Amino acid sequence: MTCGRGVEPEGEVMGRRSFLARCAAVLGAAIAAVLGSTGLSYFISPAFKKDEEDWVDVGGTKDIRPGAPVKVDFVARKRDAWAVTEKRSSAWVATKDGREFTAFDPRCTHLGCPYRWDQAKEQFLCPCHAAIFDAGGAVVSGPPPRPLDRYDAKVVNGRLLIQPIPRRRAA
Amino acid sequence: MKNALILARDWIVERTGFDRVWEVLFERHVPEAKGPAAWLYTLGSASLFVFLVQVVTGSLLAMNYVPSPDHAYDSVRFIGEKVLCGSFIRGLHHWGASFMVVLVVAHMLRIYFMGSYKYPREGTWMVGVVLLLLVVGLGFTGYLLPWDQKAYWATAVGTNIAEQTPFIGPLVAKVLKGSSELGAATLPRFYALHVLVLPAAMLLGLGVHLFLVVWHGISEPPERARRPGEAP
Repeated sequence: MTCGRGVEPEGEVMGRRSFLARCAAVLGAAIAAVLGSTGLSYFISPAFKKDEEDWVDVGGTKDIRPGAPVKVDFVARKRDAWAVTEKRSSAWVATKDGREFTAFDPRCTHLGCPYRWDQAKEQFLCPCHAAIFDAGGAVVSGPPPRPLDRYDAKVVNGRLLIQPIPRRRAA
Repeated sequence: MKNALILARDWIVERTGFDRVWEVLFERHVPEAKGPAAWLYTLGSASLFVFLVQVVTGSLLAMNYVPSPDHAYDSVRFIGEKVLCGSFIRGLHHWGASFMVVLVVAHMLRIYFMGSYKYPREGTWMVGVVLLLLVVGLGFTGYLLPWDQKAYWATAVGTNIAEQTPFIGPLVAKVLKGSSELGAATLPRFYALHVLVLPAAMLLGLGVHLFLVVWHGISEPPERARRPGEAP
């Protein structure tokens, strides 16, 4: 008699030996599947985690008039895995009609320099490489690859709330 | 006394067959290379030696290093300034890392230009390529650990390069960073890869690689082809 795996004695459809070998294979596959799938999800979970940042109250909306974007400063609580840090940050807030507000990330999309609003030209100017954006954040001239990044903004009871995560917009 | 040593040796040999193992590993035939070319045959052993140095010095460094953004930089400074021989051990690990990349690339070039990757040694070559990638991975993950400006921005650049991959780039970058931003999740992730995952894979690969080297023997240096009419 041979000792090979799954070799049946004469005339048997499935003997004890190959039955046990199959059980071991199935159990082994089940264990590998559980360990593999849970381990893999643990490892790649950051890829599917949504960036959730708290809404930050940056002030009342009545100070912000159409045609004159305002720079607002605020303190954002930033979650970094288990660490929570408070970071001073700012945003440029513009409005067309006093009801809908747009908040821009205060860094130029070229190389991250802080830009400013030029009231006379009614444009955002970046001092580093002479980039110009219009009041809607679109590139007028200069090297930036895409319009100004935006923060999600909403108005609740006359207060402007923003979520300080830069959202990219297509060029 | 001498008798006792022989007795001890015989006791071990009888129970482990170690004399045969020794014979196979260290008394095997190697090509008779002459001149400077002979040195090229030392590159694999040199890589192995530097890897062992990295294992020893790395284990020592891990005894004082803390992979947390709050403490990583200070713990590395502590190793350099306060621990006896700390700067020497860290220096060995630092230079060993660079030297290791140089050695394994030189080793690969030797194999390539001497044609040693050919039948029947393709498996050795393939495992060797994996080992080369593991060395690069160890270098990349280890570079972040001092958590200084150079480490941080080099890793920012590295993960941004990964992000440029078509379709899967952003996912790969997030998995590497453990978050969408390089930070508190990234450092322990890189540390775990650097001290657990990659060295374990490396040891496994080295085992297979060395087994195959011994199994097939070392290839002869290539010979110049005879010109037409030249005597053999």
